[in-house]
Amino acid sequence: MLRVRELESGYGPMQVLWKPSLEVKKGRITTLLGPNGVGKSTFLTTVFGSIKPWGGKIFYEEKDVTLVPTHKKVEMGLVLAPEGKHLFLNMRVYENLSMGAYVKKALAHKEESIELVYSLFPRLKERKNQLAGSLSGGEQQMLTIGRALMTKPELIMLDEPSQGLAPLLATEVFKTILKMKAEMGLTILLVEQNAEASLDAADYVYIMHEGVIKAEGKSEQIRNSSEIREAYLGV
Amino acid sequence: MLLEHLAGNLIQGLVLGAIYGMATMGLSLIFGVLKVVNVGHGAFIMVGAFITLWIFNALGLNPIFSIPIAFAVGLGLGLIFYSLAIRKLLKAPELSTLLATFAIGILLEELVKLIFGSEFRGYNWVVGKINLGVTVLPVAKLYACIGSIIIALLLYLWFNRTRAGSAVRSVVEDDEGARVCGVNVGGVYALSFAIGIGLTVASGVLVTMFIPVGINPYMGGGYTLKAFVIAVLGGLSSPYGAFFGGLIFGIVENGSYTLFALIPGVEPFALTRFLSFVMLLVILLIRPTGILKAK
Ligand SMILES: Nc1ncnc2c1ncn2[C@@H]1O[C@H](COP(=O)(O)OP(=O)(O)OP(=O)(O)O)[C@@H](O)[C@H]1O
Ligand SMILES: [Mg+2]
Repeated sequence: MLRVRELESGYGPMQVLWKPSLEVKKGRITTLLGPNGVGKSTFLTTVFGSIKPWGGKIFYEEKDVTLVPTHKKVEMGLVLAPEGKHLFLNMRVYENLSMGAYVKKALAHKEESIELVYSLFPRLKERKNQLAGSLSGGEQQMLTIGRALMTKPELIMLDEPSQGLAPLLATEVFKTILKMKAEMGLTILLVEQNAEASLDAADYVYIMHEGVIKAEGKSEQIRNSSEIREAYLGV
Repeated sequence: MLLEHLAGNLIQGLVLGAIYGMATMGLSLIFGVLKVVNVGHGAFIMVGAFITLWIFNALGLNPIFSIPIAFAVGLGLGLIFYSLAIRKLLKAPELSTLLATFAIGILLEELVKLIFGSEFRGYNWVVGKINLGVTVLPVAKLYACIGSIIIALLLYLWFNRTRAGSAVRSVVEDDEGARVCGVNVGGVYALSFAIGIGLTVASGVLVTMFIPVGINPYMGGGYTLKAFVIAVLGGLSSPYGAFFGGLIFGIVENGSYTLFALIPGVEPFALTRFLSFVMLLVILLIRPTGILKAK
């Protein structure tokens, strides 16, 4: 569904991505793992288009979308729940969700999408009139995912959805991600540092180190390879 | 007697303030969305003043007709300057957009001077005055005030009730957040800059409506300064904040003018302008967060 070929990008003069390639299959959870600062978020923001690629190719549903702007990608069903959340903190919870239904195709399904998000995250429904800035970290994380779901995506890219959450809440988030795959038929590209939980959830795993893909394989293969675990995951 | 004076000054101040507020909304809109400080703000007000003058003298049209024309010219100028200069500088250090808007201001001033010359000009629109009992209000000023309020209301409705308005609000809050919602952020930048300049040029018509004298290429400086004070008063990144900042500024300016005029040997006009500086300094000292809040 998504194919990335030898992607290159960075900030100013600093190159971060050194030609990683990756493929996301329809209906699967694909996970990109790696320690701090190796370029995982840069990879997602470059695929989404907030950062322009310096080189390489991105194909979505067999179409070359390398230089397609972000708003067109959202219309095509490719969306990002970004690291750092980027919520509209001075707007209420439901206003953030409404903004998620900005593109025309999402606007037509706004009410049912909101109900769906509320059923996935009942906590958001209870707090729908609260300002996003007054939510707890975990609730903000849910709202970030919820807002991305409001765009009616087919492929959702989640950047560290369990970051900063207590273990119990992190488990809850991973359960929701599995639900999004099983019940909503979503394809998911998940970036994580939390190796244990994301290996459990993933169908296929890529391991990134210093802007390069160092290893890839089915979730069980990665889990069973002590070599990979020791070298890149520290577990 | 004192109460009547107060009421009279309050009315004059509010009427003036509504016009000042409207004349600052463009500055705040551009800062709120693009984080660009338009140092050339006053020059766009000057362009509006010359449009009014020219349309009145050459075509004999009532200044009210100049409002939509000035807005349209401003939209056009905004789009041109955005695509020629601002767009390419948004990712550069902040000083670049400051210098660019400064340069655009000078460019406009010199262009207008080339066409119209640098002498002071004026026109004569006779619409009379109304006596409100506590004060006498020139009808032209009342028109300008009503025009300002209508434009502010239209902007409010556009901002809060339309899809394009919601896109602009989302970019003000968080541009990456807007991107992941599918908002065309580059388009919002262009549109907001154009509308901001359109509002500013249109405000040049409103200002000129009740001060139809002293129109010259360099008249903008005083308005730039006032707009900065008002924008800071209003929290810098919200056009309505600017409108309410304008109301406060109008009351203070009008009131202080009346007070200064009572002191013998003082030239109230110069002192009032000096007061703008003092206000800016005081606000920045007491609430430097006023400026940073938008970050
Ligand atoms: N906006 C930016 N400007 C400049 N450099 C940046 C920026 N964002 C990230 N970097 C740098 O790029 C490199 C990769 O960062 P990135 O955020 O992609 O890593 P990451 O794998 O997502 O890390 P983490 O797991 O901590 O989120 C880092 O060295 C980081 O310091
Ligand atoms: Mg990251």
